[in-house]
Order: sequence, then C-alpha cells, then structure tokens
Amino acid sequence: MLLEARHLHVGYGDAPAVWDVSLDVGAGEIVSVIGPNGAGKTTLINAIAGLLRCRQGELRFDGAEMTTVKAHDYCSHGIALVPEGRRLFVKMSVEENLELGCYLSAARAGRAQSLEKVYGLFPILRDKRGQPAGELSGGQQQMVAIGRALMARPRIVLFDEPSLGLAPTIVDDMFDIIAKVRQDGAAVLLVEQNVLKALEVADRAYVLEQGRIVAEGLPAELLKQPHIREAYLGV
Amino acid sequence: MPSVTLLGQALISGVLAGGLYGLLAMGLSLSWGLLRLVNLSHFALAFLAAYIVYELGTNYHVEPWWSAAMVVPAMFAIGAGQHWLFDRFKVNELGSLLMTFSFAVILEVAIQLYWTADFRRYETEYATRSLKVGPFYIPVLDLTLCIVAGALAWGTWLWLRQTYVGKALRAAAEDPEIAAAYGVNHKKLAYLLSGIGAAYAGVAGTFIALIATLAPAQIWTYLGVVFAVVIIGRLGNPLGALLAGMLIGASESLAQAVLSPAWSPIVSFSVLIVILLWDPEWL
Repeated sequence: MLLEARHLHVGYGDAPAVWDVSLDVGAGEIVSVIGPNGAGKTTLINAIAGLLRCRQGELRFDGAEMTTVKAHDYCSHGIALVPEGRRLFVKMSVEENLELGCYLSAARAGRAQSLEKVYGLFPILRDKRGQPAGELSGGQQQMVAIGRALMARPRIVLFDEPSLGLAPTIVDDMFDIIAKVRQDGAAVLLVEQNVLKALEVADRAYVLEQGRIVAEGLPAELLKQPHIREAYLGV
Repeated sequence: MPSVTLLGQALISGVLAGGLYGLLAMGLSLSWGLLRLVNLSHFALAFLAAYIVYELGTNYHVEPWWSAAMVVPAMFAIGAGQHWLFDRFKVNELGSLLMTFSFAVILEVAIQLYWTADFRRYETEYATRSLKVGPFYIPVLDLTLCIVAGALAWGTWLWLRQTYVGKALRAAAEDPEIAAAYGVNHKKLAYLLSGIGAAYAGVAGTFIALIATLAPAQIWTYLGVVFAVVIIGRLGNPLGALLAGMLIGASESLAQAVLSPAWSPIVSFSVLIVILLWDPEWL
C-alpha cells in the first residue's frame, strides 16, 4: 500500500473530530471518502496532508512513518493537497502559485516541463498566468489549485471537496481531471459531498460519519446498501 | 511666495532627506508585511548602529564604510536573535509591538549609560561636501544614501518577486499552512527576513551617524513619520517604502519652505490621511 492509516485519532483542542479511522490507498488507485457535512472529512484529509497532528494511531506513506514528520516535509515524500476552498495565494500571480507547487528542489528541476503539462491540461491558465490568482473565477481558481499540486510531482494527490461552489458543468470537468491525474501515475484520495460523482470516479470508497468509518468497499457495492441510498441519494 | 530656486532646492533636499525615511521604513515594512511582526525597536537598532559607527570613527579612526561592514552583519545577527525570542514566545502582531517597545526602551537606556545623554556629533570630511548642479546644491552624503537605499529597495523587490525564497515568503504571509504543505519552512525563512530587516537598520544607522547629531532620545523622533511611510508604501513592499519616504520628505521640505518650519510635523500624517481616503488604484 502507498498510504496506510491505522486507528487515526485527530482533533482540535480537546475535541476529537476523527476517531479510530483506518484506510488504505494503493499506488495509482482512486479512493473516495464520502460523508455528510461535519463528518470530519476535511480534518481527516488535513491530517493526512500533515496540516494537523494526529494524536493517536499510525500514518505510513510508502513505508515511512509520517506522524513524526514536520508539516513542511510532507511534500518531499510526494504528498500534495488540493485544499478545501482552494486556498490560493490570491495576491500572487497564477504562475507564481504554480511555482510554489514546485518549491522543493526535486520538483523545481522539472519546473518548465511541469508548467507545460499544467498549461496543457488547463489552457486558460496560460492566458491568465500573469493575473493575480484572486481575480480568477471559481472554476479557474480550482484549476490553479490542482495545477499547484501537480507541479509538486506528487505520488498522491489529496482532493478536499474539489466540486464545492462550482457550476455543475465545471464539476464534470473537475472529475475528468481527477481521472487524468491517475492516468499520470499518481494515486488520488478524494473527499467529497457529491456522493454520486465521487463513487463514479473511485476504485474503492469509505463512508465517514461522525468521525468514524461506517462502511467501506467497492462503489457499486456501497451504492446497493439501503443506508447509503437513503442517506446520500435520497432514494 | 518663495523663489523657484528655493522651491527647487527644497524639493531636492526633501527627496534626498526622504531617502532616510525610506531606508528606515524598509526593514519595518518587510517584517510587518511578511511576518506580521511590528518591530518598534527598529529605530533603536539603527541608533545603536549609528553610535557604534560614531564610536569607531571618533575614537579609533575607522572609516565609516569599514564600520558599516562590521555593524551591518552584527545587526543581522541581532535581528535573527530577536526573532528567536519572537519564535520562543510565539509572539503575535500585538505582542511584537509590546515586546519590541521594551527592547527599544532597554536599548535607549543602554545607549544612555554608555554614551550619556549628551549630543554626539561624528565629524567627517564627507558631511560638508556637495555637488552644484545649476543653481542647486546636492549634499554628497544624502545622495549616497539615496543611491544605497534605491539599490537595496530595488534588489529586495526583485528578490521577493523573482526568487523561490522571495515567493515562498510572500506565499507564507498569505497562508502559512498551505505554503508549508508545499515544503516552505517558514520558520527558517522568518529568521532570514528578521536578520535582513535589522541589517537594513544597520545601513540606516551608518548614514544617521554621518548626517545627524546623536542623542539617546532621538530613537523616537523617526517613529511617527516612518510609520506613515510604511503604511503609504504598502506593507511588505520595499520599493513602495522608499518612494513613500521620498514623497513625505519632499512634502515636509516644501511645507517648511512655503509655510513655516513649524508645519512640517503634521505633513506626514496629512499625506497619509489623504492617501488612505483617496486610495488611488496605482498604489
């Protein structure tokens, strides 16, 4: 397994938000975590990205124990985050945002090549490369956030609610891009409220409710479970 | 109404004097804008540097440029040391204001203990030299200061814009968490930037020693004006700081020439208020 989480507990202050979560992501796999608002999805993915400390449990990436690794060293292991709400450096230009993705020397060496790849994937960003990222539309900003992650030449990309706040047609594009990221060789861990889309794109999925994993399996199997049909699809 | 020559001379002197405001504002603006730390002791550090340059020059006959070569790196070390305290006590914006205010008071007292409260004047051959361009006189020291300040401002601006370290600092100022997720070690860069800010105080101090008369209480005289300059020039923008400094310097000098010297202190804040209300797009 590329990413292995075992009995993770994560929280803010005294209140744990994620309890005893175990999940795996294999190399080149797309894994979705679905669940309602406030289930702890963002907390979980931020912990896997190194933004939050795990209080208990183990997190291994490609065999390396990650819970003791410093936040700014996660990227060098090959983990890249597309955060919720995009969190671009809005005063900096589009290209500067992308360049921040290849800040570390290993990725920096491939800067020109990576930029070409990102501009090939999102041609509109080439035209807007000099503009402050904050002036772009929501969909374009999401492209910058994904591009920034790809610039790091990651082995896994963590997507946190990539469809949030985007127009339906753009949401479809985003999920196409997620499938392309995998074709490029990186694994994907996707956290989403858009359950149908998230299950459609995934190889395997987990259901997170109130901070705990309540179900896991192949998307087709999960879609058959009455609880999931009722709670997430309203049928 | 004063003559055109007088106004022209006032403008030139003002712009050149404003170079010192800009030079002092640069270090302050960098740490405030990029680290969210307001360093009130910046002026005290500049005066400490000035006193050391004075001491070396007067008692040991060291050329001011050689003194600067020693003082500026020493100030870098002091700035990085200060940052260790910010880091150790997890100081925020307001906390930094209080902490550095106390630094400034301690430095003022220390300067007073060693050099006494008497006025000190570093006499050099440079002080009286000036170029004559047409009807105008340009003091060589002020001109040198402006060239040095301009080179530093331009260099720093390019550094922030063109290098990965500069971009990382700007990114971390916006969102330190996400910058860290892409490998930016903000802690390390913050030490570097704090050191650079203090080193700029060392450069400013060298010129203060050559241009001004030194007294311990003078560390507070630049405070108000330079804060206005930092705000007008936009936080974290070294070129803006220098240009704003020259703008304020010129305004003060013109107000002195046209109205009376008593008017000059209110000029900087009047300009600040006008610019804040006007909020021009090019700023």
